[in-house]
Amino acid sequence: MEDNAELKRFFENMKEKDQELNIPPFPSYKTRKFNFWIPAGIAASLILAGLIMHEPQPLPEAPNEVLIITLQQGENNEQEFTIEEKAYLDVWESPTSSLLTDY
Amino acid sequence: MNRTQLDLILKTYHREAYIWARQCCAFDDELAKDVLQQVYLKILEGKAKLKEVEKAKTWLFSIIRYSAIDQLRKQGKLISLDESYEVEDLKEEIDQTDYQAIIQLLPKMQQEVILMVFYHQMTIEQSAEVLQIGLGTARTHYDRGKKKLKELITKTQTQEYHGR
Repeated sequence: MEDNAELKRFFENMKEKDQELNIPPFPSYKTRKFNFWIPAGIAASLILAGLIMHEPQPLPEAPNEVLIITLQQGENNEQEFTIEEKAYLDVWESPTSSLLTDY
Repeated sequence: MNRTQLDLILKTYHREAYIWARQCCAFDDELAKDVLQQVYLKILEGKAKLKEVEKAKTWLFSIIRYSAIDQLRKQGKLISLDESYEVEDLKEEIDQTDYQAIIQLLPKMQQEVILMVFYHQMTIEQSAEVLQIGLGTARTHYDRGKKKLKELITKTQTQEYHGR
C-alpha cells in the first residue's frame, strides 16, 4: 500500500482541484405520461367514420308506372296526344327495334 | 425499477458521473455536458436498463464511457488503441499540478483503469466491468498505468526542480 502513497496523494490533490469545477445542475426531465384516451378517441373516430362511409346507400327505386305521351296525327290531319300508363319493364324498347318496323 | 428510483440513483451519482464524463472526453467540459445529457436521456427513455441496483455506478460509468467514445468518434477526436498504446514522452514542461495533462500522457485504457481505481474508489473488477474487458487485462492496465504514472510524476517533479 505504501507503494501507492504517491499516487494517492496525486489523486487527492487532483480531487481537491476538481472542487473548483463548475458541475452542471442535474437536468429535470418531465415525464410525458401517455394518455390512453387520445389513441382510443382517434380509433373510435376512425371506426365511426368508416361506418358512416360504408353505410349502404338506398338504390333508387324504379318507377312502377310510366306515362307515355305520344303525339299522333289524326284522321283529319290534326295532331292529337295519346296518354298511356304502363309498367316500367313493359315499355323497354330495344334500341334497334325501329329497324324491325321501319324496314 | 420505477422512474423515481432511477432519478434518485442518477441524482446521487450526478457529480461523479459528470467528472467521469469529463475524464472520458479528454477533460472537455462542453463535450462532457453533452455526453451526460445523452446518457440521462438514454436511461430515462429506457434504452439502457439497470438490472442490479448494487451495480448502479458501474452501469452508469459504462454508459458514459460508451457515449463519450461515440461522441469523440463523431467529432473525429477518437484515438485508436494502437496509437495510444505507448506512453507519450514529456516533450515540453508540464506543471506538476497539471494533473489532467499528466494523466493524459498515459495510454487511454491505463488512464481509465487508474482513474476508476484511484479517483473514483472502484475496484479493478468494477473497472474491468466498465471497460468490458477481462479481469487479467484490467490488472495489466492497472499495473502498467501505475508504473507509468509514477514515472511521469517523478519526471514532472524533476523538470520543475531543474527549472527552478
